[in-house]
Amino acid sequence: MAAVNTVLASVGRVQTPLWGLLLLSIVTLLFALTQGSVSLSPYQVWQAFTGESATLANTLVLELRLPRILAAFATGGLLAVAGALMQVLLRNPLAEPYVLGISGGASVAALLAILIGVSGVFLSGAAFVGAIVSTVLVFGLTQLKTAASSLRLLLTGVVIAAGWGALITLILALAPPQKLPGMLYWLMGDLAYAGSPWPAWVVLVAVCLILFPLGRSLNVLGRGALQAASLGINVKRLERGVFVLASVLTAVAVTTAGSVGFVGLVVPHLLRMVLGNDQRIILPASALAGGCLLTLADTLARTVIAPEQLPVGVITALLGVPTFLLLLHRGRL
Amino acid sequence: MKTQSKLFAFTLVLGGCLWSSFAFSVDGELCVVDDKQRQVCLSSPAQRIAALSPGATELAYAAGAGDQVVAVVSYSDYPPEAKQVTSVGSHTRLDMERLVSLQPDLVLAWGTGNPSEQVATLEQMGMTIYFVEPHDFEGIASSVERIGELAASRDVADRVAAEFRQGISELRERYQGAEPIRTFYQVWDSPLMSMNGTHYISKVVELCGGVNVFADAPRLIPRLSQEAVLLENPEAIVAGGMGEENAHWLEAWKAFPELQATKQNNLFFVPPSLIQRPTPRVLDGARILCDKLDLARGRR
Amino acid sequence: MSQLRLDQLVVDIPYQQSGFALDVTIEPGQVWGVLGPNGVGKTTLLHTLAGLRNARSGQVVLDDVPLTQMSRGAIAQQIGIMFQEHQDGFPATVAETVMLGRHPHLSMWQSEQGDDRQLVEEALKALELSYLSQRQIYQLSGGERQRVALAMLLAQQPDIWLVDEPTNHLDLHHQVSAMALLQRQGKQQRCVIASLHDVNLASQWCTHVLLMYPDRAPLWGEARTLLQLTNLEALYQQPLAVAEVDGRPIFVPRVAQD
Repeated sequence: MAAVNTVLASVGRVQTPLWGLLLLSIVTLLFALTQGSVSLSPYQVWQAFTGESATLANTLVLELRLPRILAAFATGGLLAVAGALMQVLLRNPLAEPYVLGISGGASVAALLAILIGVSGVFLSGAAFVGAIVSTVLVFGLTQLKTAASSLRLLLTGVVIAAGWGALITLILALAPPQKLPGMLYWLMGDLAYAGSPWPAWVVLVAVCLILFPLGRSLNVLGRGALQAASLGINVKRLERGVFVLASVLTAVAVTTAGSVGFVGLVVPHLLRMVLGNDQRIILPASALAGGCLLTLADTLARTVIAPEQLPVGVITALLGVPTFLLLLHRGRL
Repeated sequence: MKTQSKLFAFTLVLGGCLWSSFAFSVDGELCVVDDKQRQVCLSSPAQRIAALSPGATELAYAAGAGDQVVAVVSYSDYPPEAKQVTSVGSHTRLDMERLVSLQPDLVLAWGTGNPSEQVATLEQMGMTIYFVEPHDFEGIASSVERIGELAASRDVADRVAAEFRQGISELRERYQGAEPIRTFYQVWDSPLMSMNGTHYISKVVELCGGVNVFADAPRLIPRLSQEAVLLENPEAIVAGGMGEENAHWLEAWKAFPELQATKQNNLFFVPPSLIQRPTPRVLDGARILCDKLDLARGRR
Repeated sequence: MSQLRLDQLVVDIPYQQSGFALDVTIEPGQVWGVLGPNGVGKTTLLHTLAGLRNARSGQVVLDDVPLTQMSRGAIAQQIGIMFQEHQDGFPATVAETVMLGRHPHLSMWQSEQGDDRQLVEEALKALELSYLSQRQIYQLSGGERQRVALAMLLAQQPDIWLVDEPTNHLDLHHQVSAMALLQRQGKQQRCVIASLHDVNLASQWCTHVLLMYPDRAPLWGEARTLLQLTNLEALYQQPLAVAEVDGRPIFVPRVAQD
């Protein structure tokens, strides 16, 4: 009986892993700050923050590394939370913004914007609109009605993603060569060109706060629409809300760093294996762990073969594909 | 005193305008207009130059500013000394930290090659950016002069630019009345690519009395099918490409014996580094190309 | 304790043009068995009673309030339903699953309290699942999974119990304990409505039955009066024989002997 008590005691209040992840996040951010193609000692980094350091170290740390690391962390968090939400929404562990074609829609819109020749806010705006259009398209074509439709939703997403892929190839084939580098950035996902990290942070924190009271409802939703409705959930309203949140998260992530794949798939999965499937834990844990993963991946991207720089999307895909296959192999998908 | 210095400045500006159309000075600064028509000023001659494309590196060396180049990007292989300079990654993805830590006082950026976000960041940090993108022979010559102006090496730069202009005009004179040769210049093999009439390589072809068969293509770099080339039936095919290992590009055309260029054996190779980078070395490339087309005239 | 009233209710069964109205009042303490051949709409009826499906006409009234006027949250605090099928797409433990039953009783800002844990623990014990509480649900056998679903309903503590084939996958011992559990709910003045494929379970455990015919008006009333050979033979289109065990009628199909 004692065993049962401890198990039950753990249901709904597992804050310890979250504190652990928070600590890990801080360590990751600090570590990333000390890494770069120009080596600076932790003391020099510290001095940059206290303002006692030389101007060069100041510039390197405060103007180059810090914004990029913050952008990486926020983008990783956004993508992981978006992935976790979509997996609950579709009751399918394969759901992810990249797999569902949302990133593809954003990329097509961004590529068209580059083709026309706009940049800055309009480019981000186009990517945002593209992401939303793609989500509306996928969900509209499926119609969220019954539990059985979640598989149709996933299949529709995969097909739409393939469609975006074809359009991307078409645009690349027609684009003038001098516009190709900027276009490839959207496709690979790259933090080298990330602008201000703050929009991503604001959205990440805001969404986490909105999700905080919804965690238990999402747990129930994960058991199917009918079961959720029988336990007192207004399924349609919750699904629509989650869908809007997930698309906004994805759209902001894509506008910050292009279409970085697999973070939304890998992070929630690994967390579920370790922490179980309580969304109240998984969602904030995804935000933190996703942030850590992308920060570390980007640190690798900018140092591993420096001065040559890799797009971070390559690193996440290299990590993501084997994980995906491993999960398939274990037969839990 | 103040009036005097203003007067002095005015005289300088006036003098500058008379002396050349691009270099002028405001309040004792060195100023030029770059290829994006922006005014670029330095308070003192550039001591630390970052060249963010292989072409920009070559132009800086040609302008006599080679000793001041502190940063280059991948594939900056000419002149050979450039290979010893610190690389800051590929031109599409710059290692910003390394670039910033080299503290350049002049950045020669490639407007359509470098990511605009990264160049904007450099500009926000207060670096002086000069966009290099010559589109014709005069653009190449004046780029050398303008970089020479910013690096205070006008004597070398002016000489190089003058030699270049001289060489080009000599070729122009020589081939002005030459019989036209319908020419296909192959930029790339798969996919098959050429360039239209607005591209400076097309101007090199014209300089030598050639006629670019794809001069009217709507896109700067048209992607083509073999059929399109066979239909145009050019009298000469010139291949560029990367490195020296593209002889097989020309071999491929031997499969079409009825093609006029194949029939007359007018399949020519011009080292791409001499023609596909808009630098003074284009003159060397142009001389080779002109010789080849002349050879083709002799085979008629 | 609550009362559930079916007011001229016509269930919306797909591909069935005409429907017969049900006009039944289910009082606290009654245990109803819903009997009928496959595809007659037993599951659809239960879903309609839980407010998960719209009726073709008529209404379901819970303590004088039509379900259509209640929020899902309010309905779930009083009506609980156990489904025939379970979606287990994601990993979860038995304890976590049973704990979901407490969801309707907690506000958005609350997490599970000691009382909730106590109820879950009791429910696990009642269904003989305590030793499995840490087990992943996808590792369970069909019968174990069925008991987890019952335990979840028990933890939910609804006044109205709607159970779809509660004895599916269960061995005889667990069939008896599952039906005894439902009977206990009745004794505690709750309403129980169970769809059953086994007429003898209804005969043994139910106070009332609802017989759903594919082609004629349904019959409802006390089990004793309605569970007659003629009614049931017409219901299943199958000749039956009846015997008596421990004072209850037991029906067995008659097979023509050559």
